[in-house]
Amino acid sequence: MKFRLQPRSIAFRLIVAVLAVELLSAILVTALSFGYERHIHFRAFDVMLHGHADSVLGAVEDAEDPGDHVMLNQADLDLPPEDVYEVRDAEGQLLGRSTNWPGAAALPPSDSSPPAHPGGEIDDVRINGHRYRLLRFEGARTVDPGERGGGKVRQVMIVYGSPTRRVWHSIRGAVEFYAFGSLMLLLVTGPLIAWLLHRGLLPLRRLAALASEVSVDSWHFAAPASAYSTPELAPLTHALESTLQRLERSFLQQRTFVSDAAHELKTAVAVVKSSLQLLNMKPRSAAEYQAGLERCVADTQRLEALVADMLALARAESSAPSGSLQPSSDLAGCIQQTVAQLETVAAFHKVQIHFSFLSKSRAFSPGAGHPGEDRGFALETGSSQLAVRLSREDCFVLLSNLLLNALQHSPPASSVELQLTTDAQTAVVVIQDHGDGIRPEALPHVFDRFYRGDPSRTRNTGGTGLGLAIAQAVAQRAQGSITLASQPDPSLPDQGTQVTIRLPLAE
Amino acid sequence: MRVLIVEDEVRLADNLAEALRDGPGFAVDWAEDGNAGDEFARTPCYDLIILDLMLPKLDGLSLLKRLRARRDVTPVLILTAKEGAGSIIELLNAGADDYLAKPFDLGELIARAKALIRRGKGAAHPTLNVLGLSVNTLEQTVRRAGVIVDLSPTEYRVLEYLIHRPRVIVSKRELLEHLYDYNWEHHSNVIEVHVSNLRKKLGAAIPEAEPIIETMRGRGYRLAPALDAELDPSLNLAPESGQ
Repeated sequence: MKFRLQPRSIAFRLIVAVLAVELLSAILVTALSFGYERHIHFRAFDVMLHGHADSVLGAVEDAEDPGDHVMLNQADLDLPPEDVYEVRDAEGQLLGRSTNWPGAAALPPSDSSPPAHPGGEIDDVRINGHRYRLLRFEGARTVDPGERGGGKVRQVMIVYGSPTRRVWHSIRGAVEFYAFGSLMLLLVTGPLIAWLLHRGLLPLRRLAALASEVSVDSWHFAAPASAYSTPELAPLTHALESTLQRLERSFLQQRTFVSDAAHELKTAVAVVKSSLQLLNMKPRSAAEYQAGLERCVADTQRLEALVADMLALARAESSAPSGSLQPSSDLAGCIQQTVAQLETVAAFHKVQIHFSFLSKSRAFSPGAGHPGEDRGFALETGSSQLAVRLSREDCFVLLSNLLLNALQHSPPASSVELQLTTDAQTAVVVIQDHGDGIRPEALPHVFDRFYRGDPSRTRNTGGTGLGLAIAQAVAQRAQGSITLASQPDPSLPDQGTQVTIRLPLAE
Repeated sequence: MRVLIVEDEVRLADNLAEALRDGPGFAVDWAEDGNAGDEFARTPCYDLIILDLMLPKLDGLSLLKRLRARRDVTPVLILTAKEGAGSIIELLNAGADDYLAKPFDLGELIARAKALIRRGKGAAHPTLNVLGLSVNTLEQTVRRAGVIVDLSPTEYRVLEYLIHRPRVIVSKRELLEHLYDYNWEHHSNVIEVHVSNLRKKLGAAIPEAEPIIETMRGRGYRLAPALDAELDPSLNLAPESGQ
């Protein structure tokens, strides 16, 4: 037979468990009551047996014959008719027995020696198909106490039996009462427990019902107050709530990203397509075709840059840092390379880049000047000292995105300061520009994808809108962080944006 | 006809403007964000607004709602990159007249732009007929009594605007505003020359007929001033659809 535990509801399992325990205790109560009742009733029965046996002993009297004999005077005995008895004297001579005495065959074999117990021996036997309880005891009967010398003491052996049917009957009655009572209790408490459990589990079911209403389209989850006030449910409720909130946030973020990405891509494709169709609208001169094609190539390059940035972001976000194969590159060298590559951009914006490297107590500054001068200095660092957990390509992506951002926000004839400091575990790069800064309300969103902090800028100078998101993803992959602080007030001397990159150094 | 393009992507706006100028010969203005678009649209000189949805400062939907809230009935063609029927329903309910999903076909955009302008002026068919004058807005050809009249692009645009509003006095300023972009004032002197040439060319087709364009001194111009007694005015004076 195959038996499999089917998954059931908690309420069902609890009710079954409680009822099983109740049933078990009912059975135990019945068994205990049986033992107790049997003990009590048989003790009383034994006392009665002794009493009857004593009556029989009292009926032993001096035989009115010349010999020194005793006899059993049965005429005065008033005993229950089913009882059996036999009296013998010390020599084993039968003195008397009841009329219904079954004979020796029905009795357990008894030696003639006196019973070991002074109080007598008790045996359960069957006589004529009925259960009897036999008391065998040796009694001393003082015959003729009024005579001289206090009379004679005669030892007699009495076997007295009485049927136990009535005892068993009353025991059964008592046990039946207990069993019936327990069963009734079980029947009454069963539904009561079911109802109480149902009520007790109400907060859980309310919580489950509310949680089941949450879907992709409706994230609203307001747990009932009972779920918060129940100690067992409170952690679950809090976890559920915070998980749902996080999930909703990331889901909305993802949806916004997909929608924004679709918009950017479609717009970029629309530009290319409309450029080509415009060129095809009417016959044109060779020079016009050439100019049109050049515009198309430029449009395609922007589309290419957008796709490249989106792929870079996806790559930076998807690949988890692997413990075994950790890339490492020299941060200082990477900064030099980035600065060198962005010099033309800096010159275009008429902005100077200043780079200083402060390593512990030793301050090293190449000095300020034309961007071209920054290329000349050499850093006196061992590359192992400033190795960060980034590939050289990622390192460049990180720095160039942030530096480009600073350059694009710098007014002409201003400068961008790049400062590298290290301690034992961390390298810190600070990029400070003196541009318009970021409005406080925009600051939390600058790392959002496609977010353009300054809406007045056209998208053509604003890049793809993914630069900061890519930089942050790269930094987080290297277990680092990027923080932004900004002072948009032009009246203050430290106006501008300060980007701080913290990267843990590789061992 | 004058069109306002509200689009933050410079290259796309450039291409659109060039296509609308080169193709149907519309005057085109460009606003690069929602607020600028809102400012531009306050002047009642546009026959169509082409509106991008994702715009800096003020998004396209809000701009559209503002337009409709101040009872601006200019036709609006939305350029959208959004997916899903929900946003399209929302757009149309907010008062958009048509939409095109990016990346769109330039030819389709021009056709829809023309259709919207036509409908905005109460004409159902691309060929307009008034008093034996027939203007095919697709081929940009003009026939008077079946004879093709050869017009310069500007003369054609003047006639196209006037034939959409027969018997209505169109001021010189209105004509200028709808035929040229934001620097229309530079063209104020030449418009009279264009109208004069147009009248001459239309008159040359049927020399015995009365001039079809009347100059109301100090007030403007009027197409089809004469009431032909033999014809039911209600049939002739509205821009007729069909050939």
